[in-house]
Formats: sequence, C-alpha cells, structure tokens
Amino acid sequence: MKKKLALLLALVMIIALAVPVTASADATEISLWTYPIGKWGDEATIKTFTDAFEAETGIKVKVELLAYGGDGDNKINAAIAAGQAPDMVMEGPERLAVQWGLQGHMVDLSDMLDATDLEEINPSTLAAFTIADGTLTGYPLCMNAHCMAINVDAFKRAGADQYVDLETRTWTTEGFIEAVKALNAAGNDTVAAVFCNGQGGDQGTRALVNNLYSGLFIDEARTGYQWNSEENVKALQTLYDLDGVNFDASIAGGDEMKLFRQGILNMAFCWNISGHKNTDDGNEVGKTLTGDEVAFMNFPTDDGNVALCGGIWGFGIFDNGDADRIEASKQFIKYVCDSDKTAEAVVASSFFPARTAAEGNDLTGIFADDEDMNVYNATIMPNLGDYYTITNGFADVRTLWWNMLQEIGAGADIAEATANYTAQADATLG
Amino acid sequence: MSKKNGASTGYRVFSWIILILLAFFFLFPLYWIITGALKTPAAINAAKPQWWPSEFTLRNFQVLFSKRSAPLFQFGSLVGPTVPGAIRWLLNTVFMAVMAMILTCITAAMAGYALAKKRFVGRALLFSLIVAAMALPKQVILIPLIREMSKLHLYDTIWSVIFPTVGWPFGVFLMKQFSEGIPGEMLEAARIDGASEWKTFTTIVYPMVKPGVGALAIFTFINSWNDYFLQLIMLASNVNYTISLGIATMQAENSTDYGLIMAGATLAAIPIIIVFVIFQKYFTKGITMGAVKG
Amino acid sequence: MSPELRRRETISGYLFLLPSLVFFLGFVVIPMVMCIITSFTDATMNSNQPDVFIGLANYKELWQDPIFLKALRNTIIIVVVSVPVVCIFSLWVASAIFNMKEGPLSFFRVVFYLPVVTGSVAVTVVWKWMYSNYTGIINYVLKNGGIIDKNINWLGDPKYALACIIIILLTTSVGQPIVLYVSALGNVDNSLVEAAEVDGANNTQVFWKIKWAQIMPTTLYILVITTINSFQCFALIQLLTSGGPNHATDTIMYYIYYTAFTRFRFGYGNAMGVVLAIFIAILSAVQFRLAKEK
Repeated sequence: MKKKLALLLALVMIIALAVPVTASADATEISLWTYPIGKWGDEATIKTFTDAFEAETGIKVKVELLAYGGDGDNKINAAIAAGQAPDMVMEGPERLAVQWGLQGHMVDLSDMLDATDLEEINPSTLAAFTIADGTLTGYPLCMNAHCMAINVDAFKRAGADQYVDLETRTWTTEGFIEAVKALNAAGNDTVAAVFCNGQGGDQGTRALVNNLYSGLFIDEARTGYQWNSEENVKALQTLYDLDGVNFDASIAGGDEMKLFRQGILNMAFCWNISGHKNTDDGNEVGKTLTGDEVAFMNFPTDDGNVALCGGIWGFGIFDNGDADRIEASKQFIKYVCDSDKTAEAVVASSFFPARTAAEGNDLTGIFADDEDMNVYNATIMPNLGDYYTITNGFADVRTLWWNMLQEIGAGADIAEATANYTAQADATLG
Repeated sequence: MSKKNGASTGYRVFSWIILILLAFFFLFPLYWIITGALKTPAAINAAKPQWWPSEFTLRNFQVLFSKRSAPLFQFGSLVGPTVPGAIRWLLNTVFMAVMAMILTCITAAMAGYALAKKRFVGRALLFSLIVAAMALPKQVILIPLIREMSKLHLYDTIWSVIFPTVGWPFGVFLMKQFSEGIPGEMLEAARIDGASEWKTFTTIVYPMVKPGVGALAIFTFINSWNDYFLQLIMLASNVNYTISLGIATMQAENSTDYGLIMAGATLAAIPIIIVFVIFQKYFTKGITMGAVKG
Repeated sequence: MSPELRRRETISGYLFLLPSLVFFLGFVVIPMVMCIITSFTDATMNSNQPDVFIGLANYKELWQDPIFLKALRNTIIIVVVSVPVVCIFSLWVASAIFNMKEGPLSFFRVVFYLPVVTGSVAVTVVWKWMYSNYTGIINYVLKNGGIIDKNINWLGDPKYALACIIIILLTTSVGQPIVLYVSALGNVDNSLVEAAEVDGANNTQVFWKIKWAQIMPTTLYILVITTINSFQCFALIQLLTSGGPNHATDTIMYYIYYTAFTRFRFGYGNAMGVVLAIFIAILSAVQFRLAKEK
C-alpha cells in the first residue's frame, strides 16, 4: 500500500518539478526588454537585429516587448523584485538613470566609451544617463524633441488654420485659444484632452502648460518645482476654462495619440516624429484614419520661445552579477549603437541619432530624402529645452503631476492644488 | 399544472419584462465584444456606433496575431512551430487551468479524507490553520510569493501560477466536508478485510466523494482561469503569458484600438463559454454542492 | 484505540496530507509568515540597502497616509454597496425564475452566469469601451435618448468613476448567488408552504415566514463570498482607472500593488496586506458566528 502511495507522491512531485527553466545560465543567450520606441516595439524589426547579431557572434538575444503607461514598468519592477531582471533594457534616462540606476541596479557602461565615441556622441545624452556617483546607466542610441500635433483639415474646416504658421510650425497662445474656440464652435466637442490617467506621455501636458505663459517645470538649478508660479497657474486656469479642452483622467498619452489619429480629437499634446510616422491604426503616414492631414507643431507660446521636452533612448544593462552575460550584453549594445548597423537601428526608432558618426559611418544624413524628418529636424528639434526629467525622485514627481491634473480636472481650486502638489514635489528634492 | 404560488398574472408579466431587459443588459457586453472584433477601425471610431457591423473584417484578428509570435510548445530542446502569440497564450491558459484542477483535486481529496476520518496528532491545529487561511485575501501574500518563486526558479513559468492555486486551502476544506459523510463502519470493515490504506481510499472513499471532486474541479478551473492578479505578477515573458494577461498587455499597448482588443477578448471568452454552455448542468451542480458543503 | 492503530492512523493520515501540505505550507503559509515579518521592515527593491527592522512604523504611517485612507474608504464603499445589492438582486431574480420550466430556467441561469465565465479581463476591456468618453455606446444611447446633453466622462470623473466600477463588479458577482438561490428555493419544504397557504397566508407572508428562514444558510454563504470578492476587486481598477481620477477608485488591493511595484515599498505594502487580512478575518468571523447562531 505504501508503495503505491509513494509512487503517487513521486508522480506528483515529478509533475511539479518538470519545470522548464527559463533563464539560461550561460552567456549564449541574453535577454532584451524594449519599450515601444518606434519600430523597436515591433517584433519583426527587432528580430532582424538580433538574428544578424546571433549570426555574427553566436549569442542569442531573447526579446520581450513592454508597453508604456505603467504596464511595462511594473513588469520590470516585478522582475527586479524576483531577482530576475532582464540582461538589457531599452529605455530613456528617466527610468534607466533615475529609477533603476539610483537603486543600484544598472551596470556602469562608461568603459564602453573611447575618445572617438565621446567626440561623436551628443554630450547632453550622456549627461542624462549619468547619475551622481558617475555611473553611466545607459548607452544612447537616439533622441527626439516631443511636440504636439494638429488635424490640419479639421482646422481648415473650422477656419482655425489662420492661427497656425505651418511654415515654422509655431503659433501663439492667443492663436491657440482662438483655434480651440473656432473648432469648438464648429461642432467639435472634443478638440483636445489634457490627459492624466497615468504617466504615459506626461511630457506633453507638462510642455503645454509650461509654454502657454512661459512658466517653468523646475528651476534650472533644480532647487524647486515651479508648478504654482503665476504663469503655470494662469496656463492651467486657461486650459480648464476652455470649452472643448477636457481634463481627461480616463486616458493617458498613448490613448490620446490614438484618439487623435482616429480623427476624434483635433489636437494631440503627446506627439513626436515616431508617432507621426505610425500607421498602426490603419491610417496612412501623416494622416488620420479619416484621411485628414496631420501636422506636427511646436507648443503655443506667448513670447515665441518654445521649450520642448526631450526624449533620449538607449540601452542599459541590469547588474545580474554575471560578468559573462554583462560582457555579452555590452557586445550587443556596441553592435547596435556603435557600428555599421547603427544607421539602421536609428532609422528603426524613427528618431534622430544621438551621435554624429558610428565607427566611421556618418549618421548626420541618414534621413536625407525623408521630408518629414527634415522638416521636423529644422522646425522642432532646435527648440529642445531643459532636460529636467533626470532630476532625483522624478518617478514620484511625475505621479504627483498627473495626480494634480486629475484634481484640477475634478474642479479643485487651481492655486491651492498647485501649491499643495508643488510642496510635495519639492519634498522629493531632499 | 396547479397554481403553485398565487402570484398574480400582472406580477408575472412584470417580472418577465424585467428579466428580459436584464438578460439583454447581461448579454450585451458579450455581443459587443464579438461584433466589435469584426468591425473595421472606421466603424469602431464612428460617431454613430453600428449596432450591427455594416462591413465584416478579420483585420483585428490579423493584427492581433501579428503582434507577437511564440513557439507552440517547448519541452527542453523540443521546440514547436512558431505560431501567433495569442494561440500560445490560449494553450498556456488551458494547461494552467487543467493542471491546477488536477493537482487540486488529487491533493484535496486525499487531505480532506485524512482530516475527516483519520485521528492523528495535530489534526485540530492543522484544520484551524486551514480555516484561518481561507479568510485571507490571497493577493496579500503575493509580494513574498514572488521572491519565493524566484528562489525556486519558478518565477516566469506557468507553474508559478499553478502552485499557489493548488495550495489554496478551500479545496481541502470542501473535501473534508464531503468526506465527513463517509460511514465509519465501511472504513472499519475494509480495514478488517485487510485492505490497504490506498485501496480503501480508491475503492471506498473516492466513489463516495466523487460529486465533491467534480464540484471542486469546476471551481478550481474557473478560478484559475480568471486569476488575473497572480498571472500579472508572476509571468513576464510573452511565451508564458495567459490569454487574460495577453489581452491586458494588448490593451496597455494599443489603448483605444478597441477592435483589436475585442478580438483578443473574443479569443479569451469564446472557448470557456463553449465549455460552460456544454457542461452547464455540471457547473450548476458543482456550484451548488460546493456551497452547501462549504 | 490501540497505540499500534493510533500510530498507523497518524502515519497514514500524514501521508495522505503530505501532497496537499507541500503546496499549502509552501505557497500559502510561508509567504504569509514572510508577509508579516517584512511588514515590520523598510524592505524596498534597492539592492544596495539591507532591510531594517522598523517596528510598527509602517502601521503607524498607514493611518496618516491620505491615499491609504481613501483606498480604505473606497473599499468599504464597494463592499457596503455591492454586498446587499448582490444579495437582493440575485434573490429577486432567483425567485422569479426558480419555478420556470427547464428551458427558460437554464437560459436565465446561463445569461447571469456568463460574465463570470467570460473572465474579468475580457469583461473589463469591453466595459472600458462602452464607458468611453469618445466612442462609448453608453454616452451615445443616453445622448440620443435625451437623458444627457453632453458626453459624460464616466471613468474620468470622480463623481461617477467608482459607481461605474461597482456596476461592472455587480454584473460579474451575481451569477453564483443566483444559481445558489435557485437551488435553495427549489429545496424549500413544500408541505410547509402548502400548509401556510391553506391557512390563508399570501405570497409575501409565505416568503418571509417560511422560505426566508429556509434559505438563510445560503444567504449567509453568499454574504461571505460576496464580501471577500468585493474586497479583492483589482483587475477592474488596474485596467480601467489605475485608481484615478484623483484616487477616487483606489482600493486597498490596488494600492498594495501600486506601493509594491511602482513605489517599491515592499514593507509598507505588506503592512497594508496584513491590515486588509485582519479586516477580512474579523468580518468573516462575524459572519460565521451569525451563521452558527442561526
């Protein structure tokens, strides 16, 4: 009797332990998790790089795709909590440096840079990836300035196109207000949305508010947040009072881009060149699903000085304590970010290169015949502002920011809400 | 038929009308999922919703299937053909739910019998521990669980969502209640006849608690299928996703592309609904019995 | 019992328990103990920092954390609203359908149970679309019906968001209670009912005087499971509102998840888990006590 029982128990245990071990222990297979950075969020595109890399080095790269808006972050955080972070991750300094870097999870990549690299790479991108103790938490690949977008045809139909300068892609605060009014009067209930469901795309709402009346998000010396400044309060009040612009706590930046591309919103505050070229919704490049013409625009200002939020993306390595895997990961990063493949890798991101040349291959002209890229480069990129997203504690600060927008959208007193949240944000500066 | 209760005709008509309205209300989301999955993006985003798709399309399923790919199965070095990720997710989900169901039924039937019929040291203590654990919301233990799974090298495997389900003590409790009903004389008789413990269990105990096992199987299957939180935290790779997790990820990535998301929801909902409708009688019986004994 | 028999009983008892105990101790009890221990530390994800024992500091902080208090309030609202509504609603539906013919009876049972089997994620994503401020069917219907004149941002407005979530929760919660009530009502002793009718009692009297007492155990069971279910509301929040707008829909479950995996404060998150567990334990104890008295 005990034999059979033992047999059954053994069977249960065997079933239980017949576990496929996921992470391979050697360095012949490394993992890469990417956020949707242009086509670096597309399985097939990434595969062309990892396949080519494998063919060259014999190292297999296992790819996982992450989503913005909390989902991807939580996945990485859970993996870190489990002690099984991926070998590599592709993201920007606001996560690599400020979130994971400061917690001691990232490998220092500064030994990957020689004198030529330092000459070629845009120094501000390196500065953004570097944290206080000197660790370079990421190796930059591409960069961008985040802008906004308008539905040109909807503007024309409402007679609002007179307020925008499509040559320079600029407009004034006054023009913006008039345009919203005209669009609203023409029957558009949802002209634009100050989205605040989560942090996804929050750079759009930050840039919008800060530019309207030339406010600042944080002072240049990083000593205090400026959300309750007269300029920002005025901007928030203006937006809140405008019919047709809703503070919408049910959507985040990604939803807003979709709704705009679907022709439902007439403006998108979350936009960039990669979003401009995105055709996931069955639309054509630079068009909405309804066939309307889309134009990327600078944020409206009262004084003509636009300050856009920057985006920088690159690769970081999680410190899993295995020198061989770290070495293999560095090999991959070098292969993508500093080789004859780099041009292709940058093009895949649909953003601009973070360096002028890679291993003798000039990168400045990779978009030569792409008109959208050239116009963007000429009208939007020069307006890059202060890269404040690498301030210590920024992960908490952006949460406070969208929570503040939610509270304002719910009808809270703006002066009070901004004062309250600014104090909380300042507390993170330590 | 004699008038069993004297409800007035007026009240009956009234309750029929309300019931039909309610049925409509409860069926509508499912209808909206399935028709939404077949609508074009333009129809989805039209200002005037289409009650019935004016044009049918498989675009949403095509996009869904093109988003991720994964091998159909993987046992060590034996790797199946590459299929759309969603297919693999469905397989994972079925595997997870069935495995959780089998393991729970076997372990709970054995343990329930022991707790009900065996007199051993520590029985009362163990039983109180089980009852206490049942009241605990299982999500609160997830933070330590994730570290434990990692130490066992189970993190990001389908087993990490199966084992906690199996460990959940409701099944043991339920099976103990069922086993209480086994007459002691029968067990005594078997023992005197010289039957082994195992034989007693399989020939006398099991047939008597079989209805309970059926109820438990159904319970475990549905709970495991729907335990999104556990899956969300434990599973990281696309190849290990369940279908619920897959749709949630699709939604995080594609936000308002509702056609695509409804295609995912259709894929997740239809198989289990078919199973449910076919085995409806057993479901109802299982649920009722689980409650009566639990 | 002879010592020999007692020894044999103990050994075989534990052998029968062993498989179940492995899972129960390994994946429920151990994490539970770890959860309690870490709730007294400042455990974070930071690998540079060892966990420091900080006594009751996490527990003290909870009662000064406005978001936790808001989450607690919301959780209580969800429980207080959904539990009685589920009970009353399902009792009414059950009493309206329980003596129907087999055909319509199964139809309605299936309909009300469908949202349960469809799965929380699939149900949630379709409701998200239906509630949408831009392409939602609910706004369209209400606007065309002349009930509202401007689209309402259901999930984005703190006035409505929690109510909207409770509505979805209700549709996924009544399936099981209805099945249970139908069976309980079917089992009511008919001779008592007939005797009362002979005595001239009307329907209402029959219901309250006789049936209500007989279905009391079912009611209590439903109270317990609905309470536990409502406390654990998570997928709805995570997929629909992320606790917003302005924490109007934060629940304790969601806030634990957020604290642990977005703010990396494991110790603090575990402290919340312990508090939630105590809450549920007290409530369940009260309900069990009530059940015993009856």
